[in-house]
Amino acid sequence: MGEMFRQYWIPALLAEELPENDSPPVRVKLLSERLIAFRDSEGRYGLVDEFCAHRGASLWFGRNEGSGLRCPYHGWKYDVTGQCVEVPSEADNSSFCENVKLTAYPLVKVGDILWTHMGDPARRPDLPEFEFAHVPPEQTYTSKRWQQCNWLQAFEGGIDSSHVTFLHSGGLKSDPLFKGAKGNEYNLNDTKPFFEVVESEGGLFVGARRNAEEGNYYWRITPWVMPAFTMVPPRGDHPVHGHFWVPIDDENCWTYSFDYHPVRPLTTAERQAMMDGYGIHSKNIPGTYRPVANMDNDYLIDREAQKRGETYSGVAGIAMQDASLQESMGPIVDRSKERLVPADSGIIKARQRLRKAAIALRDEGVTPPGVDTAHHRVRSAAVVLPAAESFLDSCRDAVKATPGVRHASI
Amino acid sequence: MYASECARAASAEESRYRITVPIAPARNARVIALDARATAVARRLSDGPWANARFYTCENAPGGGPVDAAVLHGLDGAPAMLDDLLRGTDVVVIIATDDSGGTQAAAIGRACGVRAITTAGVVLGDGFEADDAVAALRPYARVLLLSADESDAFELLRALRV
Ligand code: FES
Ligand SMILES: [Fe+2]
Repeated sequence: MGEMFRQYWIPALLAEELPENDSPPVRVKLLSERLIAFRDSEGRYGLVDEFCAHRGASLWFGRNEGSGLRCPYHGWKYDVTGQCVEVPSEADNSSFCENVKLTAYPLVKVGDILWTHMGDPARRPDLPEFEFAHVPPEQTYTSKRWQQCNWLQAFEGGIDSSHVTFLHSGGLKSDPLFKGAKGNEYNLNDTKPFFEVVESEGGLFVGARRNAEEGNYYWRITPWVMPAFTMVPPRGDHPVHGHFWVPIDDENCWTYSFDYHPVRPLTTAERQAMMDGYGIHSKNIPGTYRPVANMDNDYLIDREAQKRGETYSGVAGIAMQDASLQESMGPIVDRSKERLVPADSGIIKARQRLRKAAIALRDEGVTPPGVDTAHHRVRSAAVVLPAAESFLDSCRDAVKATPGVRHASI
Repeated sequence: MYASECARAASAEESRYRITVPIAPARNARVIALDARATAVARRLSDGPWANARFYTCENAPGGGPVDAAVLHGLDGAPAMLDDLLRGTDVVVIIATDDSGGTQAAAIGRACGVRAITTAGVVLGDGFEADDAVAALRPYARVLLLSADESDAFELLRALRV
C-alpha cells in the first residue's frame, strides 16, 4: 500500500507551516519516512531526508539561510533538491559535496496545501486538480489534524454514510456550518437510509437515500477518489467539505479537512467557525496540529451533554466524534473481528478496490485509479429525485466539478 | 505511563486483550440469481467457504408470474418455494446481470420486506444493461452494489459472513 501512495501527489503539509522564505524548517513524517520541509531564501520548497548525511543530526535544528539548509553540527549545507552544496571541512573548491545528496521529493503549492510525490520521478503524474485546491483563495479553507490510528480506518469513516444520523445527530441541529438546511430534516426523519454503491473511474460514488416527500427520495452522494480523498455531501448553501487521509506511518495519519464554496467567497463568520473547529474542522492546541480534545484527556468527554442530547457520544465536534471512535478501535483495528452488514457495502467495495489496485500495481505495474487528474474533478451532491430515477444517471453533471457552477445541494 | 484511560486503551499493547471468539455466521443467508449469467456467477460462488448460505436461481422465469416453485429452484434444479427458503433467514442477496429478472426482483424484494429480511442487490454489468432490474430492486434492497466486477459478490458474501 505504501507503493500505491507513492503513485500519487499527496498532501505533505499546509502552506501556512512554511509561511515565508527562510522560515523555520518543519519535521514531516510521511509513509513511514522522516523528512524535513523548508522554504529557501528564494521561496523554493524542499522536502528532504530529516537527517544530515554526515553524522545524522536532525536538520530540524538547521539554519535556513542563503538558499539552503545548513546543519548546525558541522556546517554541511543542502539545497531544496537535497544536494549538498557545502562541506566546510573540505578543501576550498573540493568536489566532495557533489557526491552527497539527501533523498528528496518535490514539494509544490496547490491551493492551501504543499503536495509531494514520493514515487518514481519517471512516473510523476500531473499536479492534483481537486476543486477545493483550485477555487480562489477566498472561497476555500483547509485545516489538518493528527489522528492516532491507521489511515484506512480513519478514511473508512469518510465513506460510512450510515453513522451520520447517529454519531453526528447533535451537530445537524446546532453546528453553524450545517444547520438550517432543508436536507437536514430528511436526514433526521429517516434514520434508516438505503445505499447504492457505484464504481467511478477514480474510485466510488456512494449514494445514501432517505425518504423525502411522497414519491421522492433525498440522496446524499459521497465520492471517493483513490486512494484517500473523500467528500461529504453538502447542506443548503453551506460550503461543501471533505477530507484527505494521509498515512504518517502504520499507526498514525494526517486528516486534512477542507471546506469550500464553488461560486462564492466564504463569509467571515464561516471562516471564523472553521478556524474555531466547527463543521468538520477541529480546535487544535495552538502551535500544533493536535486536537485540544484528544486521547490523553479522554476527548474531554461530557456525559451530561450526552444525557441532554447535545452530543450523541458525549464528545463535542464532528471531527473528534469520528476520531475518538476510530482511535478507540486501536492503532490498527483487527478486521477479522468485524461484523459487517449490507449498509457497509461502500467500505467492503473500497477495500476490495484498494487491494486490487495495489496488486495490479505490484504484479503488472498498472497505474492505479485516481492518478489521472481527470478523476479529481468530482463533487459530492445532495438532491431530491423521483423514486424511479437512478441517482447517478440523474446526477452525472452534479457529481462533476465544473468551475463557476454552483453545487447541487439541498 | 499513559496520560489517560483512553490513551492506554487505544495502545497497541492493549489491543491484544480484545476477546477472541468465533463470530456467529449469518443465519440461513440466501443468494438468488435472476438470470442466466447471474446463475453462472452463483454457481461459481457456491463453491466458496460459506457457513449456511444456499444458492438459488429463477432464471428462465416467465415475466410477470408469481415467484413460486415453477420458477425458483436450487442450483441442482430442485424446485424451491420462496416461503420456505425465506424462513429463519437474516439476509438475501440478489444477483442480476440484465433486466430479464426485473419482475422477480420486485416480488422477492417485497416478500423480504414483509418478513423484515435485509436484502442486498448485486448488479453486475457495464454501463448499464440492467437498469430495470436496478429500478425493480431499488425500493427493497438496503444496498445495491452496481459493479463490473464479479468478485464484488464474493467479497460481499464474505463480509456478511454468510
Ligand atoms: S455501532 Fe458501529 S462500531 Fe459500534
Ligand atoms: Fe463522521
